[in-house]
Amino acid sequence: MIRTGRGGVEGAILGTVKRRGISLRYKILILLTTIPVLTLAAYLVLAMRVFESDKIAYVFDSTSNMSGTLATQVKTQLNSVLITCKPIFQDYFSTFSRTGQRAFSPAAGVSLQQEPLIGAVAAYRVKEDGGFEQTSLVEREPGLWSRILESQRATISADFGLAQKQGRLLRAPFGDDRVLLFEKFETGQETTIFAVVTSLSEISEMFKTAMSQQMYLIDRSGSILFGPQDTGVRNLRDLMSLSILADPGKKVVQGAETSNGADGRPLLVSYSNAGFGDLIVVSTVSREKALSAVSMLLRKSLIFFVILICLTVVISLIASGTITRALTSLFAATQKVSEGQFDIRVDVTSNDEVGALADNFNVMAAEVSRLLEQTAEKARMESELQTAKTVQETLFPETRSRLPGLEIAGFYEPASECGGDWWHYCEVGQRVFLWIGDATGHGAPAALITSAAKSAATIIESMNVNPAQAMTFLNKAICEVSRGRIMMTFFLAAFDRRTQTLTYANASHEAPFLIRRGESELKKRDLIPLNEVNSPRLGQAKDTEYQETSVQLQPGDMIFFYTDGVPDVRSPGNEAWGEREFIRTLVSVYKDFPSAEDSVERFVGTFQSFRQGSQLADDVTFFVIKNEESGGV
Amino acid sequence: MGKLDVKKETAGDRLNLILAGTIDEDIDFNQIPLSGGQIDIQMSGIKSINSCGIREWIKWMGTAAASQITWHECPKVIVDQINMVEGFLPANAKVMSFFVPYYNDDAGSEKNVLFRYGTEFKEGSLNPPADVKDDDGNAMEMDVIEAKYFKFIKK
Repeated sequence: MIRTGRGGVEGAILGTVKRRGISLRYKILILLTTIPVLTLAAYLVLAMRVFESDKIAYVFDSTSNMSGTLATQVKTQLNSVLITCKPIFQDYFSTFSRTGQRAFSPAAGVSLQQEPLIGAVAAYRVKEDGGFEQTSLVEREPGLWSRILESQRATISADFGLAQKQGRLLRAPFGDDRVLLFEKFETGQETTIFAVVTSLSEISEMFKTAMSQQMYLIDRSGSILFGPQDTGVRNLRDLMSLSILADPGKKVVQGAETSNGADGRPLLVSYSNAGFGDLIVVSTVSREKALSAVSMLLRKSLIFFVILICLTVVISLIASGTITRALTSLFAATQKVSEGQFDIRVDVTSNDEVGALADNFNVMAAEVSRLLEQTAEKARMESELQTAKTVQETLFPETRSRLPGLEIAGFYEPASECGGDWWHYCEVGQRVFLWIGDATGHGAPAALITSAAKSAATIIESMNVNPAQAMTFLNKAICEVSRGRIMMTFFLAAFDRRTQTLTYANASHEAPFLIRRGESELKKRDLIPLNEVNSPRLGQAKDTEYQETSVQLQPGDMIFFYTDGVPDVRSPGNEAWGEREFIRTLVSVYKDFPSAEDSVERFVGTFQSFRQGSQLADDVTFFVIKNEESGGV
Repeated sequence: MGKLDVKKETAGDRLNLILAGTIDEDIDFNQIPLSGGQIDIQMSGIKSINSCGIREWIKWMGTAAASQITWHECPKVIVDQINMVEGFLPANAKVMSFFVPYYNDDAGSEKNVLFRYGTEFKEGSLNPPADVKDDDGNAMEMDVIEAKYFKFIKK
C-alpha cells in the first residue's frame, strides 16, 4: 500500500523507469511450479520403471510357479493313467507268455470296464520291417478304436514311430479332453506299444479355464495338446516365437522369457518341463495385462500429479502474491518517485528483507524530500541573501574619493553574500570622519549589525561630536540591537583639515598604520600603529566610556585602516597570508607613497595573487587615506 | 569541549589549566569553572581564537574576578588579542611569559622566543635578548611590529 502526502516537489527532473519484462510474481510462480513439476515427473518416470521391472519379475515368478504346478499335475495325472493301465498291460504280456498269443485276456476287458476314464487300450507290435501291427484291443465301446484310427489315419503311423523313438508320447487330436497315450515296452526281442485312449478332463479343464494368464500343454514340436478355448491354433509357434521351440534338441527344465504374440503384442512367457515325455507346460500373459497395475498406478499418479500441480500453482500464486505485494508497492512507489513525487511512503508490515527495504525506501524518500525542501529553502534564503547583499552594498561609500585635502580609496569583499565588516567616511564641516568596524563573525547576522551601525552613524554625523562621543553613541546603538550576542570592533577617526590632526577612538579594532615619509626608505618600523587608546568592543557594555587621542598629520602622510580578515586571506592550499607578508606588502606598496587609489590597487593585486581566487575565511575590508602633499586646505 | 583540549590540575587553592587547540563559537567555558585563589593558565597550545571565541573568553575570565590569574607561555595569537581587545586580559590577570616570533628572511628560519616576566620584560619596560640566532647561527629579527606587539607591557 502506498501513502502519499502533499504533491511532490516541483521541478524534480528524473529519469524514466525502464519498461518491465515478465513480472517478478510470474517468475516466482514459474519457479515454484516448475521445480515440483520436474521433480515429480522425474520421480514418476523413475518409480514407474522400477515398479515395472519389479512387476515383470513378479509376473515371471508367478507364472513360473503356475506352469510348474500345472506340469506337476500333468505328470501326476498321466502317471496315474499309466498306473491304472498297468494291470491291462501286464495282462497282455501274461497272456503272451502263457499262451504265446499277443492278446488281452477277458480279464483285461473287465479291468477296463472298471476304469471309467479309460476308453480303449490297443496293443501294437513293431514288425521287423519297422511297421506297426495291432495285436490286441480292449475297448469300452465297440468300434471306438476303429473310428479313432479312421480319423487319425494321416498321423497315427507317425505317432507310433515317434512313440517308438521316444518311448512315451501323448497326443490330443480329438478336440476334446480325450488323449492318446502311447507307452512303449520292450520285452526280449519284441517291442510293444500300447495306445491308450483316456480322458484328461481335469487337466483339460485347468488349461481351458479362463485366467489372467493362458496355459498351454505342448510337446517339443510346439503342438498344443491342451490350451485355452477358442485359440484356433494347433501349434504354439503360430502364436509366439519361443527360444525353446527354435531349438527342439535343447533340454528344457524351467524358464521365462519375453516374446511377441501373433498380433505383435509383447508377452511374458514362463515354461516348465512336465517330466512326462517331451511335454512342456507354457504359461503366457500379455505384458500389457501384466502391467495393467502399473498403468493404473500411472494414471492415478498422473491424476495425483495434476492435483498436486494445481495445488502448487494455487499456493505459488498466494505465496508469490504475498512476496511480491510489498515489492509491487515499492515498485509503484519508485515510479511515483521517478515522477518527482518524493513525499510518498510505502506501508509494508513484513519483518524480512523486503520490510527492511521498504523502511529504507521510506527513510530515503523522506530524506530526499527533506533535502529537496532544504534545497528550495536554501535557494530562497540565497535569494534573500542576494537581496540583503544588494541592500548592504548601499551601506558602503564610493571606494574612490578625493575630498579637499584628502584622498580616500578602499576595498571590501565579504566572505559570503553578506559581511560583518563595514567602512565609511563622511564630511562634517571641516572634519572628515572615517569609520571602520568588524562585527563578530560574518554573514547575515553580522551584516544586520553593520546596518545598525550605518544607521547610527548617519545620525551621529549630524550631531557634530568628537570620535569618543560618537563611539559612545554608537556603542549604545549596537548594545540595543545586539543585546550582547554580537559585538563589533570599531575604529573611528576624525581628520580636521584645519589643524591637520587626526583624532581617533578605538573599540578594540585592529590599529590602523600611520605611514609617514622619512629620511630613508620605508621600513617595517616606520609603520606606526595608532594604538594609543583602546576601549572595549561595541556592544560589550552599554555604559562604556570611550577614550580618544589625536595625532598630528604631516603632508603626504597615509593611514591604512583594515580589518583582521586582511592578514587572514588564505591561499588555495589554506595557507594564511599572515602578518609578516601583510606588513611586507604594506612596506612594498607604500615605499613610494603612491596615491591612495594606486596603493589600494597594488595592495589588492598582491593579496589576490596570493589568494588565487580561493574562498575568504573572513570579510576583507581596508581603506587608505592620504593627506595631500600640499598640507591641507 | 570540541576543539579545545583542557587539562585541569588542582593543588589546594591553586588551579592549573593547560589549554590547547582552537577557541571559537563552539567553545563552552561553562564546563571549565574558574575557582581558587590562584589560577595559572598554560596557553602554549592555543592555535587560534576568533571574534566569537574572544567574546566567550572575556565572559569566562569575568567569572574569576576574585582570583589572581597568571598567563603563561602566551602564543602570538593571544598576545595579539591582548593588545587589540580591551578587556581580553582582565585587570586581575597578569602575563608571566609570552612568545615572540623571530625570523630570518634569507634563511627562511623561524623561532618563537619566550619572554619571561622579570627577565625579558616587566611592567613598562622591555629587555629583549641582545641577539637571537637560528640553528645555523643566522641572526634573527622580530617578526612583529614592536610598537604594537609589546603595547600591553607599556600599560
